[in-house]
Amino acid sequence: MSDLFGFKGAEGAGYAQPDPISDDFEFPTALQRENLPRWPRASEPEIVRHYTWLSTRSHGIDSGFYPLGSCTMKHNPRVNEKIVQIPGMNDIHALAPASHLQGLMAIFHEMQEMLEHCAGMDTVTLQPVAGAQGEFTAMRCIQEYHRDIGEEHRNKVIVPDSAHGTNPASASMCGYEIIEIPSLENGQLDLDALRAVVGEDTAAMMITNPSTLGIFEPEIAEAARIVHDAGGQMYYDGANFNAILGKTNPGLMGFDAVHYNLHKTFSQPHGGGGPGAGPIGVKAHLADYLPAPLVVASEDEEGEVWFDWYDPPKSIGKVQQWHGNAGATVRAWAYYRRYGRELETMSEHAVLNANYLRHRIMNPSEEIRSAIHAMPADGAPADVVKHEFTLSMTPVKDSTGVTGKDIAKRLLDYGYMAPTLYFPMIVPECLMFEPTETESKEAIDQFANDFLAILGEDPELVKTAPHDTPVKRVDEVWAARNLILRHPIDE
Amino acid sequence: MVDQLPNLGREQEMLAAMGMSSMDDLFSDIPEDVRRTEPLNLPGPQTEEEILREARMLLGSNVSVDSRPSFLGAGLYSNFVPSMVPMLATRGEFLTSYTPYQPEVSQGMLQAMWEFQTMISELVGLPVSNVSMYDASTAAAEALTCAVRIHDRKATQKSTVYVSELIPPHRMSVIENYTQGAEIVIHKLAHREDGLLDLEAAVCAEGACAVYVEQPNAFGLLDEGLMQLKSLIGENTALIVGVQPVSLGLIAAPGDYGADIVVGEGQPFGIGPTAGGPIYGLFACRDAYIRQMPGRIVGLSKDSGGGRAFTLTLSTREQHIRRHRATSNICSNETLIALMGAMHMALLGPEGLEKLARRNAGACSATKNAVLALEGVEAVHPDGVHFNEFAVRLKKPAADLLNFLDHECDITGGLDLSQWWPERENEILICATDQIDLEDIEELVEGIQDWLEGYE
Repeated sequence: MSDLFGFKGAEGAGYAQPDPISDDFEFPTALQRENLPRWPRASEPEIVRHYTWLSTRSHGIDSGFYPLGSCTMKHNPRVNEKIVQIPGMNDIHALAPASHLQGLMAIFHEMQEMLEHCAGMDTVTLQPVAGAQGEFTAMRCIQEYHRDIGEEHRNKVIVPDSAHGTNPASASMCGYEIIEIPSLENGQLDLDALRAVVGEDTAAMMITNPSTLGIFEPEIAEAARIVHDAGGQMYYDGANFNAILGKTNPGLMGFDAVHYNLHKTFSQPHGGGGPGAGPIGVKAHLADYLPAPLVVASEDEEGEVWFDWYDPPKSIGKVQQWHGNAGATVRAWAYYRRYGRELETMSEHAVLNANYLRHRIMNPSEEIRSAIHAMPADGAPADVVKHEFTLSMTPVKDSTGVTGKDIAKRLLDYGYMAPTLYFPMIVPECLMFEPTETESKEAIDQFANDFLAILGEDPELVKTAPHDTPVKRVDEVWAARNLILRHPIDE
Repeated sequence: MVDQLPNLGREQEMLAAMGMSSMDDLFSDIPEDVRRTEPLNLPGPQTEEEILREARMLLGSNVSVDSRPSFLGAGLYSNFVPSMVPMLATRGEFLTSYTPYQPEVSQGMLQAMWEFQTMISELVGLPVSNVSMYDASTAAAEALTCAVRIHDRKATQKSTVYVSELIPPHRMSVIENYTQGAEIVIHKLAHREDGLLDLEAAVCAEGACAVYVEQPNAFGLLDEGLMQLKSLIGENTALIVGVQPVSLGLIAAPGDYGADIVVGEGQPFGIGPTAGGPIYGLFACRDAYIRQMPGRIVGLSKDSGGGRAFTLTLSTREQHIRRHRATSNICSNETLIALMGAMHMALLGPEGLEKLARRNAGACSATKNAVLALEGVEAVHPDGVHFNEFAVRLKKPAADLLNFLDHECDITGGLDLSQWWPERENEILICATDQIDLEDIEELVEGIQDWLEGYE
């Protein structure tokens, strides 16, 4: 156990700094700080060891298979990390003149155009720094658009009950009322339910496709027609974009606005929860409302390209104070360059792997099957899935009392990250698997075998899992009741 | 040729196992009318070496703040980050992990964030910190919406907040975007001629839900008057203070003078200015605000064996549980950058922080004295107490001097304040952080002198 606040170095321990170049300043006594923060006093070797120890108690994609559905945990190419350490990235200022940022702006411009093309949109902004912020930004643009054309009475946003939680939360933050519509028995969008709720007050519908069940919505174009006929806008949650690059795009499906998750589809590392980046793309009628600024290119007489900032005329303003997560954009650019038009191959492999994993789990050999207490059920019936799929552990729970959560925890003992648990909520005892294109056939085979083996294990062993992790099952209720949110730093 | 796909060339084997024959079978569910008919119109794949070469060329053409004397701050600060920090933070277990939903295999990141919360709590003088916001602007914006949710019931000025008129406009724009949905009314708090908050006028905020001010403010001014603000506005109005965190090595923690929520740009700890992202926003508050605060929070707990363990807590505030009734839509945040901040703070230690603050204040004071000694340059706030930024006024548009310094002297001279407030076209905001040395100041002074002589 390494405790950051347990280091007992002398005063001034830490790293040596040059002396101040002047002591010629004075602050009013009342403003002066009396006691310094009780930060640790430690030297570099101690701090390095502390964080190295902590890293051994964490699990990333680098550590092993990470089938976290909806999160697209793909390999993060290391050259991308090298690139953001090149001088000209960490050490540039957002408010510097455009002439100081031409290289960055060239990358921005290329990314705007690439993302526009991939999604079938007309204009892209890179400013939103997370998927949820992309949703919020797009809904703000739609809101201003409606106000501008005299339709500010459109105050309702429709989301399917299988939607990511951020969709209703983002729309709600803009002031919209949320209408949740139930999905069909098979998990698909219910067009009748949609028809029943659209109307003159519909601002937009927010939906992801493929859905959170990993199923491509067959009636997506009709859904877009229904919403458009009512005068509403269609918003595409790009969380599942990894499934469809090069095969279709939100523009073809009839969407007006879309966000991209650069930390999913384009390999920006998740970093334990962020940073991400959530650029949005919109059709022409919404482009004037995008956050300021965008990057535009012009060419002089000698053919020299120059990049400038451009504020859309009716811009909603800013959603992040600077230029968004520029470092994430640069990493995503390096990732995109690695694939180019072969992004389509990337999506094919993501879908291949998901279908293959589903097939391997749901079609065990006789021998393996005979050792299993009960097989899970498909979360949604489908011949093929896209990049992810859901399984319901209800049959397992009914037969042995082992829950989806128990199985998720037991997977940790095998060195895997657990699949997404209990989401979407419309699938009971849901586990959601997304292997991504990163996993080899052998890794998938091994995972399927281990998963199936767990289904045959002594239920008590599974219910009390995990056993081989740095700590045993953590009591989340205790944490919420006691709220110990910082170190006491007892002297 | 793509080199990141382990199953390349093995597609048929995997398809055959599933009884399929072509990759197209996997996409048979996409209706004809929404299918792409043409392949992506993008260039072919590049190799790692090719990408690296081009990245060096492109990023190398940017002008780095470290490559020349740079006096541009205005919310993003040139700094030094110990070499240890990026090396440790990019360890794969940190870099490539997701939000720690499975605490049993995420104890490292969870503990690191709990320690981060502790260091921020100590720094700002408040009991609770979250794991990070996107940046200072969204932190300030969500502090306001959080405060309205807490105080609106008892407020006599319903859904109303008061915000210093000196909040930089880009930050203000974010605040407006984030508050308009809740129909929050924003009134401006006036500052006096000397740049400090007009306390007499600030009394009008009593009965509102919140007041947001910054210490130091947009002109780098430290304002002792803010220490009386809480007593003027009362218990039922949240005092939200935006900080430059390095200044807290010398300046009183806002929690000690009544702040209920403290926000700020964590950037000087952990990462360079990075064109403004990814950086991380600070958000700390009093206990009473916990259940309405945005973002992830780590709590100490125990495992089934009774051992110490960490976990994300208070998730019932969050979008994945509460959906449209969540306190915020924030999901992805800036954890990894906050981790870098934590590593930097841990290696600084208390006295290191104080020294870093002294280096900033010293560099600012030396720069200010040298620049103001020039005939033709005057202080915008002659009696002001500054941390690491100050504003000067010229007799001609600031843009002219800044262009001259940039093109003729290879100096980044500061922010043309007309970019924020058009009426301030002759004013420059000059920032001197710990990265400014005496030579830089000398070059700046010579540059300004040359320019002054040029037009006289």
